[in-house]
Amino acid sequence: MTINSTRTGTGNGAAPQPEASGNLATRESSPEPPFRPWAIVSMREISVKAKDKSFRVYTVVTLLLILAGVVFNAFMSARGESYTLAVTADQGRAVVFLANESGRADGGNVSFASETTGSSEAALDLVRRGGADVALLQEAEGSWTVTGKNEVPAELLQLLEQSLRAYALDTNAAAAGTTSEQLLKGSELRTNLLEGDAEKQILATIIGFIFSFLFYTAAIIFGMAIANSVVEEKQNRVVEILATAIPIRHLLYGKVLGNTLMAMVQLALYGGTALLALNLTGTAELAGSVIPSSGWFLIFFLFGFLILAAMWAVLGSLASRPEDLNGSSAPVMSLILAALFVGMFAKGQILVLASFVPVVSSVAMPIRMLNSTLEPWEPFLALGLALVTAVALLRLGEKVYRRAVMQGGGALSLRKAIKLEH
Amino acid sequence: MLHVKNLTRRFGTNTAVNNVSFVVPAGHMTGFVGANGAGKTTTMRMIMGVLAAHGGEVLLDGEPLTAQLRAGFGYMPEERGLYPKQPIIDQLVYLGQLHRMSARGARAGALELLERFGLADRSKDKLEALSLGNQQRVQIAASLLHRPTVLILDEPFSGLDPLAVDAMVELLRERTAEGVPVLFSSHQLDLVDRLCDSLVVLQKGEVVAAGSGTELRAGAVQQHRLSAPPDAGWIREEAGVTVIDVEGSNAVLEIKDAATAQRLLAKAMARGTVEEFAPIRRSLSELYREVVK
Repeated sequence: MTINSTRTGTGNGAAPQPEASGNLATRESSPEPPFRPWAIVSMREISVKAKDKSFRVYTVVTLLLILAGVVFNAFMSARGESYTLAVTADQGRAVVFLANESGRADGGNVSFASETTGSSEAALDLVRRGGADVALLQEAEGSWTVTGKNEVPAELLQLLEQSLRAYALDTNAAAAGTTSEQLLKGSELRTNLLEGDAEKQILATIIGFIFSFLFYTAAIIFGMAIANSVVEEKQNRVVEILATAIPIRHLLYGKVLGNTLMAMVQLALYGGTALLALNLTGTAELAGSVIPSSGWFLIFFLFGFLILAAMWAVLGSLASRPEDLNGSSAPVMSLILAALFVGMFAKGQILVLASFVPVVSSVAMPIRMLNSTLEPWEPFLALGLALVTAVALLRLGEKVYRRAVMQGGGALSLRKAIKLEH
Repeated sequence: MLHVKNLTRRFGTNTAVNNVSFVVPAGHMTGFVGANGAGKTTTMRMIMGVLAAHGGEVLLDGEPLTAQLRAGFGYMPEERGLYPKQPIIDQLVYLGQLHRMSARGARAGALELLERFGLADRSKDKLEALSLGNQQRVQIAASLLHRPTVLILDEPFSGLDPLAVDAMVELLRERTAEGVPVLFSSHQLDLVDRLCDSLVVLQKGEVVAAGSGTELRAGAVQQHRLSAPPDAGWIREEAGVTVIDVEGSNAVLEIKDAATAQRLLAKAMARGTVEEFAPIRRSLSELYREVVK
């Protein structure tokens, strides 16, 4: 029997190797690539994951959701909204007229129409019957009330408030013998700034949610994959075969690398799809401000994920069966959840503090970059801290992994594993 | 030649392997036998370096084993199972690559091995879809794929049907013919008889017998069978003879030396018919039973 082997490690001279000359011939005809066990291990991790049906379904579904989200958003912003408001007097009509103008200003497509009724009761009745979306009524002392049937659309409310403010300003200015332009003189710049900031803030919150969620899902999906792959090899004793073939740290680093790459590629795929869809639907203006912090997010994601990967690998090596992971993964899961909650809810000082805590910083720092101006050194310090932690944990992980992964029997505690002799 | 020298391993206060020394000659199938818990697996794991030795060393052709040397070994651990959810050809290629084979070379070699085990048409099946016996075959293929320089096989035959055993034996014979030392543990003494060129017997962590079949037989007390009708009972009275068993005309004897044997034969012939008088060629399994008694 002949096996077309290209093995180079001749090892010893005990066994006559009839294939030796064949090997040489093979090697000469195609130069052999250098032997990199970690690369082979990560390739396996990637191909196993890529062939996993549930992973593929999950990725495709997420991509579809992203596309659907962007398209829905584009559809909503392109679709014209028209509201009918029940009013009782000229003042009401004037306000609705103003609202209609500002709704159509700047390429807007929200239109307002008024329906005049004889009395407040009649106006409310019209709303009740569905003849108008809301009733806009002025009380005796001058204040206004908007009454909807079971909701008042936020968009309507916002434009109405603007229009009321403008209307009141005009009216009061006229009463004071001046004009609204006169009154607002010198205020234009400040007004614009305030509005711009608020808009950015909302965007930052949304992007923060997205960052947090992406980090959370990747940390669990790919982190779990590392732990499961480690425990699978331990449980089936494949690791004994692997350990005799290659240095065991190559196994660890190969797994970490393979899953990290997959996580990054998946993330880039999501991000790329979203950007592409935003561009195609012509709703990309906002995306411009998101790109720099998204780039930082990728880098922070990488560092944070490496830390978690080391932890997951250790957990895997301590377990003796996949079920053991359910109990032992609590500390890592809390860290991942902390990153999720900080990303979604943290504000102010807590967010600043969190943006320097490794793992949590992966989400917190990019969010800070979105909604405030940082000192230039801040992201670098946070990255440095994450990097130092990642290296330290990978080293420690290697130590524990090397000892624990060969150990048969039940699940191990971290302390026990460190005390183990190889 | 693989030379195991004074290997010792303790677990807590229990010495699982105590000062174990033996050789696995090049081109020899060496059986590694002993009761459960005798220390076979522990010894094999130390040879493979997956378990640290507390004393002693292992030499290959006089050179202490290094990770690089071990990487050329073929190893089949005691507990079975590769990757349950991966197609078998994929995992064999992976293991081959980790043993420095090219992906193409590993694939060709794996397919050939699977062919020989009658599994060629199942190469794309997941391992878990195979019967336990077939999983075992894949495991064997994994240990042979990279043309190992030494084979360390822990219970390679357990769970195999006779045809699979034959296929496996044929493969191993090919490898030993190329000069590869093979050490395998087994509880199946008939297989040990059939396959082994040498035997190492372990009992309670210590080697109680080791050597080739000829050496072991020479070391054991020689037994003879005598068939001298009508009744061999007179033999009980002879000096220098230990009677193991007498039944009618048949007796099994331990005879002190060659001179005694000749004297006994002459006497038997003088008394009447001798149908048979011959040394009993004992099987390795009998020798094994004797030393671990």
